[in-house]
Amino acid sequence: MRKIFPAEELARDSRFIRQTNEQRLNDPRGARVAGGNTSENLAKLTPELPNGPDRARALMHGIFVGEIQALEGAGRTCWDFEIGDEVPLALKMDMARQCWDEARHCEISISLAEHMGTELGEYAENGLLYEASCNPDPVLRLTGVNRALEGLAIDVFNTMKEFGNMAGDPVLEFCEDWMLADEVTHVKMGSDWLRRLTQNDKERLDKALEFQKVVDRLFSFNGFRGEDDDSPIQLTRRFRELAGFTDDEIDEIADMSRDARAEATA
Amino acid sequence: MTDIKRPREPFAPWDRRSLPGLFDVDETARRVGHYKWVEIKLFEALGGWVATIPELDVKMRLGTHCYHHAWHADLFDKRLPELREMKTERLTVPPNEHMVEFIEAMTEPEAGHMTIEKLVGVYRVLIPHKIAAYTYHRNGTSEITDMPTIRILDFILQDEFNDWREGEMLIQSMIESPEEVERAMVHQTKLEKIMLAAGGIAGPGSIGDPYVEVVEQN
Repeated sequence: MRKIFPAEELARDSRFIRQTNEQRLNDPRGARVAGGNTSENLAKLTPELPNGPDRARALMHGIFVGEIQALEGAGRTCWDFEIGDEVPLALKMDMARQCWDEARHCEISISLAEHMGTELGEYAENGLLYEASCNPDPVLRLTGVNRALEGLAIDVFNTMKEFGNMAGDPVLEFCEDWMLADEVTHVKMGSDWLRRLTQNDKERLDKALEFQKVVDRLFSFNGFRGEDDDSPIQLTRRFRELAGFTDDEIDEIADMSRDARAEATA
Repeated sequence: MTDIKRPREPFAPWDRRSLPGLFDVDETARRVGHYKWVEIKLFEALGGWVATIPELDVKMRLGTHCYHHAWHADLFDKRLPELREMKTERLTVPPNEHMVEFIEAMTEPEAGHMTIEKLVGVYRVLIPHKIAAYTYHRNGTSEITDMPTIRILDFILQDEFNDWREGEMLIQSMIESPEEVERAMVHQTKLEKIMLAAGGIAGPGSIGDPYVEVVEQN
């Protein structure tokens, strides 16, 4: 088995439909619609929206494929690096623990998708999350995946949990709360390993934080995730703080989302 | 009223644990180091394979099992300093070059159509050998002096049995033709031969020696 497994070769059955980022951005219906959001206008995800349930189903499918890629990414970190020379054993053990968590998240999200009335393959899969976990530097990989992407997962799960609460769906709310607890743990792992592995290497720390920004920017979805009242995915300060983000770092992500939104509407 | 001065035996009548064991401290540490090495190699492989497996149920199950073996490695890692090995990496080694060869052969399959080979290597060869070696150790070591290792092995064996059963069921569900039976057997035979040369996961003597030495009389 090779080290570093390319994103385009991720193994999938026939139900999965892969969509590249270019395809999504060049979709004549607009990137947002192509991503499964059936409206051109941004609005907070609530059951009262005419397209609220459809958007929630699309988001749940997105969570499911995201969880598969997160499982694959954490698994590859167990395999791709040598213990001692490249990473400590404890880091790999954290990644193995994350594999188990992500496997449970796959089980939860595929069950919830069915519960919400959608099925595997109804929406396309984008491989961007796994691509971020192909970085050959373990510090950059962990920062991009565990801080940027798992950070986004905190925002997404909290939004879905609130949606479940508003919709009077205790199953959805219950499951999202459990997954949210795991995500805070994963982001904290990323924050802790970033600090430990770059303790005496400012240059590597800066590179890792820059990579995190690139990933965060990619996943800002034209301002899709932010702190404004009509942001579909709400940036979650409280849980990000628990996971080791500073106020300044959270402010920076909020600003990034605001800029992305302004650019998209300009 | 209870007579608190009435003497009792130090061991209750039902407690039949015995003091002697097959392994001294050094031998126990050597074996535990090999077990840890194998558990690390296994969890790394299971994690790496997840991305290469198209079958969704297998993909998710391997993600779960990956953690089980990482946890086993952690348990063995924590036991080593208690066996006087403070530099745990020193004993985290394969028993011989055949075991290295075994892991290389087991982790060789990568292509998406080779799920049967991946599962056979783990669930029909490696895990049964682990269960055998851990059971031998668990049953042979001193039930009093080495109880911490027995406790660890009991937890681990519970996982191994469950994972073996799930893995075997996945293999049975994947095999749908005589050709696939053949594929599974060919791969199992290839790996078993290497394991035979290795002498088991802890080297020769992994499960003891069942034969009696007969002295020829003239």
